[in-house]
Amino acid sequence: MTEEQALGISRLCIPFTPFRGKLEEAAVCLVSTAGVRLVSQPAFDTQHELGHRVIPGDATSALLTVDDTHYDHGCVDRDRNCVFPIDRLRELVAVGKVGALTESHFATAYTQQLRDFAAFTAVRLAREVAAERPQAVLLTGG
Amino acid sequence: MQRAIEMQGVPTVLVTAEPEETEQARAPRALAPRGFAPGHAMGPTAEIQRRVLLDALALLLGPPQPGEVVYRDYP
Repeated sequence: MTEEQALGISRLCIPFTPFRGKLEEAAVCLVSTAGVRLVSQPAFDTQHELGHRVIPGDATSALLTVDDTHYDHGCVDRDRNCVFPIDRLRELVAVGKVGALTESHFATAYTQQLRDFAAFTAVRLAREVAAERPQAVLLTGG
Repeated sequence: MQRAIEMQGVPTVLVTAEPEETEQARAPRALAPRGFAPGHAMGPTAEIQRRVLLDALALLLGPPQPGEVVYRDYP
C-alpha cells in the first residue's frame, strides 16, 4: 500500500462527486438501509445485519418485503415505496423525467456495529453500486 | 454508505427522516421532508412520494451544499 492509499479520509472531509448531464438521460440506482428485499430472498437478521440484497431493476414494490423491528411500519406495510420508491422512480422514467433505472438496486438492514458496516458493508456495496455505472444514486433510510 | 459511493465517483442524494443524524454524518447531499418519521421517509401517498423524489433528484442539479441538509415541507 502506498502512503497515499494509507492516508484515508477525515470525517471532517465530505466526498462530493458533481452530477453531470441531464436527469432525463441519467440512469438512477436505489440504495436503501431500510431492510428491503425480494420476498423470494433470504430474510435479513433484524437485530444485526452486515449483508445486503440485490434487487433487480425490473422488480415492483409488490415483489418486495421489509425485515425490520426498529421503525414504524404504518406506512411501509401498505406501500414499500414509503422507504424504497422503485415504483415512483419507474413512473418518472415512463414520463421522461428520469432516463432509466439501473439493472440492479441494493438494500441493507439494521445494525449497531457501525464501524464494521462502514469498513466492510459500505465499501463492498459502493463498489457494486459503481459497477452498475449509474449517473446518480438515491439513498433512503428506514 | 453515501460517502463511500461518492468516493467511487458516483453522485448521490439521500432522503432522510433522521436529519440530525444525517447532519452529524456530513452527507454530500440530503433532503429532509420536515416531520416525516423513520419508515415514512418518502411520504405516505404516491403523490407526496413523487414530489419528494423529484425534489431529491433536483438537489443533484443545484449548487453544491455538501454537509447541509435541505428541509422541505410536504403539506
